[in-house]
Amino acid sequence: MSDVEIPAQDPAGRPTTVADRLAAVAALRRLADQLEDAVVEQAMRAGWSWPEVAEALGVTRQAVHKKHAKRLIAAGVRLRRRR
Amino acid sequence: MMTTFGTYVQTIIEQAGHHASKDGSATIEAHHLLLAIAAQEGTTAHHALISVGLDQQAIHDALDREFEDSLRAAGVSRGAFDLPQPSSDPKPSARVGASAKLALERGVAAAARKKDLRPAHLLLGILEARVGTVPRALALAGIDQADLTARIRQALTNNGR
Repeated sequence: MSDVEIPAQDPAGRPTTVADRLAAVAALRRLADQLEDAVVEQAMRAGWSWPEVAEALGVTRQAVHKKHAKRLIAAGVRLRRRR
Repeated sequence: MMTTFGTYVQTIIEQAGHHASKDGSATIEAHHLLLAIAAQEGTTAHHALISVGLDQQAIHDALDREFEDSLRAAGVSRGAFDLPQPSSDPKPSARVGASAKLALERGVAAAARKKDLRPAHLLLGILEARVGTVPRALALAGIDQADLTARIRQALTNNGR
């Protein structure tokens, strides 16, 4: 909990608590999701295929398609057919 | 038949879904509920938030700060990746995430009896969190969570809305 202080420092040398570090994990997950949205869109606009993007991300083609296809189609991105 | 509380919660979840999808979040979380509550004028919850200076923009700013501060603790800067803003899903997120579920449960539990449930109980449920994004953002905005909770409880006693 937030009142348990474990001495540690962030990269700027300021002390961080366990609560700060748990919050950092949550924020990194959020950032990773946002980055994935942006980069997958960039890749698809650049003509990458779903299998290529999936392999580069280390996930299945179904997973990447399920997560991003509707959004990208709605945004008017021309998606390449599977090779 | 839908109760006033039920109708309000449904509206808030719907609005929160838009905040979530704009945020690139597949799930609706407690902070998305808070943003939606801040936009519903004429409610006890809205009055209470405004009385401590929390309009929707102030909440947005506090959440942004929390995100940036938390990333910085891990040595990451939000702007480190120079990427274009991704297109957001035009369909609002509909899945209620863990923090929003907790807030809903706590909100319902905050009323003595089910028939005493009022829209403001949802905000009480959100404010019961001691850890996580919402308390951290409120602390950064200089908000005393206990004081805000007391204001809402007082308003509920006074006007029952």
